[in-house]
Amino acid sequence: MVLSLFLGSLVSLICGLDRVAILQIMISRPIVAAPLAALVLGEPLVGLQIGVMVELLWLARLPVGAAVPPDDTQVSIASSVLAITLGQTLNASGGELLLLCLFIAVPLGKFGQYFDRYARQYNVRLVQRVDSALKRESFLAAEGQHLRGLISFSLSSLASYAIIILGGLLIIPVLWPYVQQSLSYSSAWMQLAFPLVGIAVILGTINVSRAITLFCASFCMAFLLMWLV
Amino acid sequence: MCLLLYGLFIDVVGVEMKVSWQTRLHIWFRLLLLQASWNFETLQGLGFFYALLPGMRKLYSKEKLPEVSLKYTGYFNTHVYFAPLVAGAVLRLEEDRISGTAAEVEIDDFKQMVAAPYAAIGDAFFWGGLRPLAAGIALFLAVKGILWAPLVFVLLYNIVPIWFRTAFFSRGYRQGLKSVEFIQQHKLPDLAIHTKEAAVVVLGGLSAFMVFSQLTQHQVPSWLGMLTLIPMVMLGLVARKGFSTLLLVIITVSSIFLIGLFWADVVHLIAF
Repeated sequence: MVLSLFLGSLVSLICGLDRVAILQIMISRPIVAAPLAALVLGEPLVGLQIGVMVELLWLARLPVGAAVPPDDTQVSIASSVLAITLGQTLNASGGELLLLCLFIAVPLGKFGQYFDRYARQYNVRLVQRVDSALKRESFLAAEGQHLRGLISFSLSSLASYAIIILGGLLIIPVLWPYVQQSLSYSSAWMQLAFPLVGIAVILGTINVSRAITLFCASFCMAFLLMWLV
Repeated sequence: MCLLLYGLFIDVVGVEMKVSWQTRLHIWFRLLLLQASWNFETLQGLGFFYALLPGMRKLYSKEKLPEVSLKYTGYFNTHVYFAPLVAGAVLRLEEDRISGTAAEVEIDDFKQMVAAPYAAIGDAFFWGGLRPLAAGIALFLAVKGILWAPLVFVLLYNIVPIWFRTAFFSRGYRQGLKSVEFIQQHKLPDLAIHTKEAAVVVLGGLSAFMVFSQLTQHQVPSWLGMLTLIPMVMLGLVARKGFSTLLLVIITVSSIFLIGLFWADVVHLIAF
């Protein structure tokens, strides 16, 4: 289990940095990050299922200006790691455990937003340090200060991951025996609900004048086609 | 890779360059770290200074460099994929200033003038349009359990940003101030709206596909799936009012959970 958590933390670190600090090639999106973490742990399908559920949830929350959206990267990675490791420990499989992991991870993901904000706040100190380094004509030091920002973002990602993992490891084994049966009645529908709620939020917040009309037309057309064929 | 090389080199053919291609490549790579020290005071300011430093080193003497550099550590914020365009243009303007060709506006003013509009265009096009569109297409595959779906997403999404990051950097360097006209010609705000519309259409198809698959799998009459539109549109309208996604998820999932329990009891009673 320790090895799995460690491997998960490496994925969390790489994907967490892609989120803001470097590249932005979108390996931080849940549809990529969750399967990647799960692939490292040997069960990519678990990650894919979690990726599908989380990807659209906060897609409408744009990282515009100084806005910090919820940390869906760490939610999806930590959920995948929890689902795989606890699946082995509790000898459980199927959508119910995935859902329970997500139910715990999604609210805890709020901490990710605070850590991210804290990292950005901490980086303000680097501005003064760069200025004073430049006044001393020490360019190497100034460049180093900029790169130190990566440490803040790395720690922020790891802290979010650790909080979700810790919360999950403490809560899920206790809750699992009580909710396993109850979740089995509706787990498939709840798995469907996650992406649909995400799509509904995008629909409500996307700045397109005919969004609802286009969406309904597309939905009906696709549905009828599948029904008739 | 071809896109990257083409974008970096082809646009500057025939243009007199003081900054060598090696230095420009160095700047380009540094722009990938633009947000490494993102902070609430100067936002991308330090990153912009860090990226341009190799170019400034070529253009200014050791004595002048600290003074010039300090100008670049202040506030700067634009969309991360548009930053190379601004960096390229600023580099050209710095070159012009040194060669004595007077620019129509101050470099600092130009930087601040274009940053905000570019950020708005980039946010609308990339975050608001392209990302949901690519995610919607990849999710079709993911729902089918195809493990290549994440790779499809990364490839689909990154084609345009790579183009922006490479070709626009060269374009900015080649055209300087006139790079603004280049952006205007491409009518990117219109393109952003069209991309968003395409995303909505894809997400509509994806919703229908997911609902239909679920109903078929559970042998529930398919026509019931059309009713999904009602709660989805209602949730969309509620989200528009400012309700948080987390709250909507909790309400929806709890409702489904309770209905599931109730339905299980009903089935249990009927069985007796």
